[in-house]
Amino acid sequence: MSVVIVILCAIAAVLAVTMLFAKSPITSALSLLGILILTAAIYGLIGEHMVATIQLIVYAGAIMVLFIFSIMLLNLNNANDDYKRTPAIFAGSIVMGLGIFGFIAYGIKQFYAQDAAGRTLGFFSPEVITYLGGNSKVVSHALFSQFYVSFEVISLALLVAIVGAVVLAKRKVD
Amino acid sequence: MNNEMLIQLLAAFLFVMGMLIVSLRRDTIMILMGIELMLNAANLSMVAFSKASHMIEGQVQVFFIITIAAAESAIGLSILVNLYRNFGSVKTQSATTLKG
Repeated sequence: MSVVIVILCAIAAVLAVTMLFAKSPITSALSLLGILILTAAIYGLIGEHMVATIQLIVYAGAIMVLFIFSIMLLNLNNANDDYKRTPAIFAGSIVMGLGIFGFIAYGIKQFYAQDAAGRTLGFFSPEVITYLGGNSKVVSHALFSQFYVSFEVISLALLVAIVGAVVLAKRKVD
Repeated sequence: MNNEMLIQLLAAFLFVMGMLIVSLRRDTIMILMGIELMLNAANLSMVAFSKASHMIEGQVQVFFIITIAAAESAIGLSILVNLYRNFGSVKTQSATTLKG
């Protein structure tokens, strides 16, 4: 277990808690930006370079710019009437969330307890990926050969989303 | 406890935090950010599982999820701009036209 990954995970968890309890939206947005960058760092550290790059460019770059731009544009400041829930509902939600976390953690523990004996491993072991020219090359090749149709369909979906966003945000002319 | 298990635990924690943000906060922009956090947690889990089982399908799937998340946030933020324009606030309790 590498120390760097432990530190990154700890900072990301603290930032997630900050995001839940912060009063102003801009604090939450910056915490989310930190979480996304730390996630990209974790991807890079475990050797998934392609996903790390896309995470940095698309998530931490484009999407967070959209969020922070919206916060600035709509002038959302401190939320006074946020957290109008009763303390009982608040505590209940947090207990429920921790319960769900416990269940997922138990499932993860079961998955890693069975270890390599019960698992069927795929073709792309680290040695094979190094032999084929690195993670970026392997993933890009799969993206443009095996998943070619999905790639085209997803680009069409993105185009539809852009047109829809422009139509929705446009000032009505009447 | 190895690296991948730690990353899975972080993914579970981030998912739960995103869920709590969606259910507890009353700002629409906070709800959108919670959804982004949940998608990011799912991505993290998928990459770690794909790494653990020596496959690359998970990473290709993460690429598609990021694209869908970008589309979703673009649509969501333009809905938010409309909400602000019509009600003067982005709180969930201000949009009560359908409440009757």
